[in-house]
Amino acid sequence: MTKVALTLTINGQRHEVLTEPHRTLLDVLRADLGLTGTKENCLEAECGVCTVLLDGRAVNACILLAAQCQGRQVLTIEGLGRDGQLHPLQQAFIDHGAVQCGYCIPAMILSAKAYLDEHPAPTEAHVREALAGNLCRCTGYQKIADAVLAAARELAHRR
Amino acid sequence: MADRMRVVGKSLARVDAPGKVSGTAIYAADFALPGMLCGKVLRSTLPHARITRLDVTRAAALPGVRAVITAADVPDVRYGGGLKDETAFAKDKVRYMGQPVAAVAAATPEAAEAALAAIDVVYEPLPAVLDLEAALAPGAPLIHEAWESYTAIPILHREGNVCNRARIVAGDVERGFEEADRVFEHRFRTGMVHQGYTEPRAAVASWDSSGQVTVWSNTQLPFEVQNTLAEILQMPPSKIRVVVPGVGGGFGGKLRVGVEHFAAFLARKSGRPVRVATTSEEELTAAYPRQGSIVELKTGVTKDGRITAKAGRIWLDTGAFAGSGPGVASVATLVLAGPYKIPNLYLEGFAVYTNKTNCGSFRAPSGPQANFAVESQMDIIADALDLDPLEFRLRNIVREGDEGPTGQVLNGVGLEECLLKATAAIGWKDRRPGPGRGKGLACGWWTTTGGSSGVYVKINPDGTVALNTGAAEIGTAAITGAAQVLAEELGIDLTDISVVAADTFSTPFDFGAQGSRTAFAVGNACLAAAADLKRQIFALAAGQLGVEPDALTLADKHVAADGKRLSLADVARLSQQTGGGLIAHGTFIAPPTPYDTKRVEGHVYPAFHSPSFHAHAVDLSVDPQTGEVTIHKYVVAQDVGFAINPTYIEGQIEGGVAQGLGQTLSEEIIYEGGRVLNPNLTDYKMPTTLDVPRVESILVQHPSLVGPHGAKGVGEPPNIEPPAAVANAVAAATGVRITSLPITAEKIALGLVDARAGGA
Repeated sequence: MTKVALTLTINGQRHEVLTEPHRTLLDVLRADLGLTGTKENCLEAECGVCTVLLDGRAVNACILLAAQCQGRQVLTIEGLGRDGQLHPLQQAFIDHGAVQCGYCIPAMILSAKAYLDEHPAPTEAHVREALAGNLCRCTGYQKIADAVLAAARELAHRR
Repeated sequence: MADRMRVVGKSLARVDAPGKVSGTAIYAADFALPGMLCGKVLRSTLPHARITRLDVTRAAALPGVRAVITAADVPDVRYGGGLKDETAFAKDKVRYMGQPVAAVAAATPEAAEAALAAIDVVYEPLPAVLDLEAALAPGAPLIHEAWESYTAIPILHREGNVCNRARIVAGDVERGFEEADRVFEHRFRTGMVHQGYTEPRAAVASWDSSGQVTVWSNTQLPFEVQNTLAEILQMPPSKIRVVVPGVGGGFGGKLRVGVEHFAAFLARKSGRPVRVATTSEEELTAAYPRQGSIVELKTGVTKDGRITAKAGRIWLDTGAFAGSGPGVASVATLVLAGPYKIPNLYLEGFAVYTNKTNCGSFRAPSGPQANFAVESQMDIIADALDLDPLEFRLRNIVREGDEGPTGQVLNGVGLEECLLKATAAIGWKDRRPGPGRGKGLACGWWTTTGGSSGVYVKINPDGTVALNTGAAEIGTAAITGAAQVLAEELGIDLTDISVVAADTFSTPFDFGAQGSRTAFAVGNACLAAAADLKRQIFALAAGQLGVEPDALTLADKHVAADGKRLSLADVARLSQQTGGGLIAHGTFIAPPTPYDTKRVEGHVYPAFHSPSFHAHAVDLSVDPQTGEVTIHKYVVAQDVGFAINPTYIEGQIEGGVAQGLGQTLSEEIIYEGGRVLNPNLTDYKMPTTLDVPRVESILVQHPSLVGPHGAKGVGEPPNIEPPAAVANAVAAATGVRITSLPITAEKIALGLVDARAGGA
């Protein structure tokens, strides 16, 4: 199949990728760029473990073609921390015991970031609604909700 | 006790958390090697059929295809745990829709898919056995015609489609029923459910020039997988290395070989590393889910609410192969007895073959099925006797020093405290707070699985510590718990410990991350290693400081006596100069739990080691029109023996309840005509953030005699009681008793319609 040349901006860095047009962003992130912090599971946009931020919005990378991301900003979990420091959401997930197997966590944190960026002072019900597309089988979501609310407070404090 | 502790009993952050939140933790599904091919499996499209033609010529010739294999390419062996009935590929016939028939390795997933499509396979359908009743019916087709010729542990009682019948007999059950004022008989049913880990099963295999294969896999049991691969590949285990990079949840679904053997065979044939990972469809049609079941209970009680006798049978639909079935059927009988003092018992568990996927172990295997029946019936009986369900339970529960169903003596029994605390927290006195609203209660007991564990503990020259364990961290934080036990003992901080885990070549043996045993067993192995290290440290330091070894103490990263002290780092460096460094091999094997051997038959799990006890209480409402359940509050009081890390124990409880509520309210792998109707994550409905209530965890601590600091297994129990607790609350709220899982809104709504019709 004819390959296409794509310029993708991922975590602020430009990447030139030559790939088949049918390949997904998830595939390119993991297989071509080695960014395996974005996880792979159902490949049908049902479980949410592949969530990344596209121009700040949470999307399922498993059903998004890489070619659709040309000229847009992609943020993955690897790009969330700054200068070796964890993002307040990442720290809150640790502090609240919200991490078990951890496979859903990068996506969970990015979904939470997308939501908090637009809704800095949410209630628990709002947080749960924002994360409803991200399955977690380990935690029962309680400590995840607690962590996101705590991160929201910390981020507000920093503003 | 915990007050004097610095590390255990504290809610410290898990050791692997930073890597997991930053995306740098590598899971088996992330693992890749240069030149790696994509492996895929061709699966049967019929539930029961003879293979009359299987031709891979066309597939093998397709571009990009590097290997195609079938039963003809692999050793002709049957493997399995206690019963060797399984083959890598279907040979003469297929026994479930989804059974592997062939596998391919190709340069890209697309090429692999094309190769699967090009394999020519023709089936001649056979009559299929689609449920338990059909499998047990007289003259039912045999799923394994040659079952008698299979290798099995002699303890199993097998007959036709029944691959084990486990039995507990205590006292005289008929006399017990005669002594009863009333006898109650009920039947229950539960569906097949999947573990639902978010990381698919995945393995990468690579062979080296010496004929050794390395398999990177997300198995919970690397050592068992090593041995099973040795059987399947017909190679010595020493030529097979299994490494677990990281596991994205297991819940029992990643115990057995699933994709590892395909990766190994394909890598050998293609001469390239091969990765095989499951799709969601494969997970829901061809994995190791929880057995569906039928349970029949007959219970005799006196007027004042004492249980005199119980006869119970559970039939577990174990699918086309035995898998964990024979063991799970055994465990089920202990759950059927319940945490009650019952003098006369006759309990049987049957593992039954059907033409469905091979069932396995799912967090507390048999626990939810059997407990749902037992605890539902407890409430039905309490209502019939006009007794409060709590009071009825309190009149029958086991207490310290009582006997279990097979005669084991029970220690550390915190059940009464669990029941009292859970009911107090839910506001039990007001059990029916309003129309359509009710509260339910369920209790149970569970085991802390035994088996042996080894650790190597090394003290680095900077005074930090490397903990080398054969146990995989599957998400529970059990290894963090074990490291806390080690840190406490060595007078260091948890953050001083780094963990190397789960590599069959370099880590000591471990029985595996299963059965709520990891923190318990690895923690105890850490205690043994710490004792050895202290002896070494004191011997070295005594010489250096000029004091007696007995006078020395180890605390705050220093060894000290008589006002003189030496840092742990100094002692480690000293040892490197004089004795090869500070290292210890700590081991643990859970002591056997004595029981009355005369009471059991066909039983591979006759007693619960260091048993845990638990009570769940729930407050919910039922929509009178739709039957939809809304949970207002959920409380768990669990006797954990000793809480090594309270936060992560709460995590186990919250997650176990969520998973349990999924089985209770929405999850079921639905078969029709041998085909799974809902093999995707939209139609197989696991709970989301919006479906799970907040859970209040109450940690009750009646120490185990064996566990580190008295700890018991905590991982599985929270998954056991949700079905019964919810069923009992639904009955309290509506008067409708649902006797099958899942308790869908539809079933409740139909029950409400029937009740209204009956009342009119």
